[in-house]
Formats: sequence, structure tokens, C-alpha cells
Amino acid sequence: AAKMSAPTMEERKACWGARDEFWQCLDRHADDASKCEKLRLSFESRCPQQWVKHFDKRRDFLKYKKKLETEGYHPPEADGKS
Amino acid sequence: MFRALLPVRCLLPPRRPPAAAPPRRGLRGRDPTRDGGLPLGRRVAAVAAAGAAAGAGWLYLRQEKERRRRARRREELRALALGQGDFALLDQEGRPRRKADFLGRWVLLYFGFTHCPDVCPEELEKLCRAVALLEREPGLPPVQPLFITVDPERDDVAAVGRYVRDFHPRLLGLTGSPEEVRAAGRAYRVYASAGPKDEDGDYVVDHTVLIYLLGPDGLFLDYYGRSKTDAQIAQSVRRHMETYEPVQ
Repeated sequence: AAKMSAPTMEERKACWGARDEFWQCLDRHADDASKCEKLRLSFESRCPQQWVKHFDKRRDFLKYKKKLETEGYHPPEADGKS
Repeated sequence: MFRALLPVRCLLPPRRPPAAAPPRRGLRGRDPTRDGGLPLGRRVAAVAAAGAAAGAGWLYLRQEKERRRRARRREELRALALGQGDFALLDQEGRPRRKADFLGRWVLLYFGFTHCPDVCPEELEKLCRAVALLEREPGLPPVQPLFITVDPERDDVAAVGRYVRDFHPRLLGLTGSPEEVRAAGRAYRVYASAGPKDEDGDYVVDHTVLIYLLGPDGLFLDYYGRSKTDAQIAQSVRRHMETYEPVQ
């Protein structure tokens, strides 16, 4: 199989732009992905599949980090633990 | 005034309000002014001189401590023996490059791969911005920006050439056989692990994200993580250049 060429700088920036638009839409709709389908498709078409997966994971991580910063860390504990 | 200079264990009467103060006693219990001790002005001068001497001593000690800390850090870094081995790679023009080719030059080095989603372009841009900041300062030696791939299977000379073009005109990109590339990564304790391939055969390479500073003797001097800005890197490099002492 032919080696797929890495994205150029322009392609990278197009992908990041589509990702940012998708993420901004998610921010506006409290992460309701159904409201942002068109931008999701645009994002998926402009970024290699591996990058889509990578950015999805990154989004989850950033949300988790924000939650830690605002709510604090609640370690999962069984009730009634002394 | 003398009371402030005397150690507590000397037997002195307790401090009383000035109105009721007993005559001041020197070390031998005599009133110093009465039998010709130093007048007030001289005592102020003596205290000031002692204070200045103490201050100068403190500054010197602090400088010594800083010098020793830097020497200790250099020793630690040298003991880590990072980047000691030689490497034999190819640059983006296909020219062979060994580690010795970079001796005599300051180098900022980053390991990455061209299929990297975001981290590598961001870190490389930051590295090149730091180099540009240093270029603007007159009197500083030039810094060589260097990129070495951790994905030799895909990043051949042409791919590296296409990649480094977008960053800094002097950015050199190195690649080579998987063995040589792995050896170079190992020399800098760079962790690199290719992820699973998807249906397009695409994969990402999980890897250490660090920018390494190498001195003109080829020794690893410092490293900068994701949280360091271009200005912070430039400032650190400048400091290393100012305090640089050749090893041998």
C-alpha cells in the first residue's frame, strides 16, 4: 500500500480550524453532539481518522481537567468508609 | 546602642523606658561614655560598617552557593550521560550527519514525527520562535534548531524535508534507518511507541515531548517541557551561554 503523506501545514491548520469550530459548537450546546453534526462531519473530513480519535480523547481530557479545577477531586469511595 | 551588639547571655540590667534607664554599661560593667568610650557617631559608623561587611559576605556566599548549584547540576546532567553516543543520520537533503558535525554549536533538539496531530507542530514552532528570539540578540552565538524523527518507517528524507520546510529556514530534520533512529532516541532516553494502525495504516507515535539544549561540546545541558514558553526557553539558553564553561 502506498504510504500516506503526512498533512501539510495548510492541511493541519484546516483540520485544527474545523476541530475548533466543532468544539466551540459543543461549548455552546453543553456538549450536545447532536446539535453540531454538520461541524462534526466537516471536522472528520478535514482530519485524518487518527487525529479525530486523538482530538476526541483530548477533548475528554480537557473537560475532565476543567472539572477537577472547578469541582475538585472526588476519589471514588464506597459509602460509609471511615 | 551597644546593647544591640551584645549577646544575650551578658549580664545586663533589663531594658527600661529611656526616662528611667540606668547608666549604660559596657562589657565590664563600666559606663563607656564616662571613661572615654566611642561617641555615638563612631558607634553608628561601626555598626554600619559591620552591617555592610555582613551584607557583602552574604552576597558573596549567595553567589558561591549559586555557582556550586550550577556545577552540581552540570555534574548531574553529565552523569545522566544523555546524548553521549554518536548518531549517523541523514538530513532533509539526504546528507549524512553525525553528532560530531554539531560540535562547536548550540543546538535545540526536538524528537517528533511528521504525522503528529498537534504537539509536534506546536513544540517545533515554539522551538523555532525561541531560536528567532535569540537570533535577534547581537553577540550571541547562533543556535541550530534540530528535529529528529521517532517514526523512521514513514518519515523518510522526503517526508522530513516536506515537514521542516514549514518552520524555520535553518531547521534541520534528521532521519535514517530504524536502527540508527532508535539509537539516537535511546541516547537521549526518548520514549517512543507507535500506536495501533487503523484501516488506512495510519498511527500516532506516543513519545517524550521535550526540547533538549545541547552545548557546543555536545553535552546535554537542559530540557524544556510543554509548559515552557518560547521566551522562557530563549532566556534559559541565554543564561547557559553566559555561564558556559567548556568541559575539557
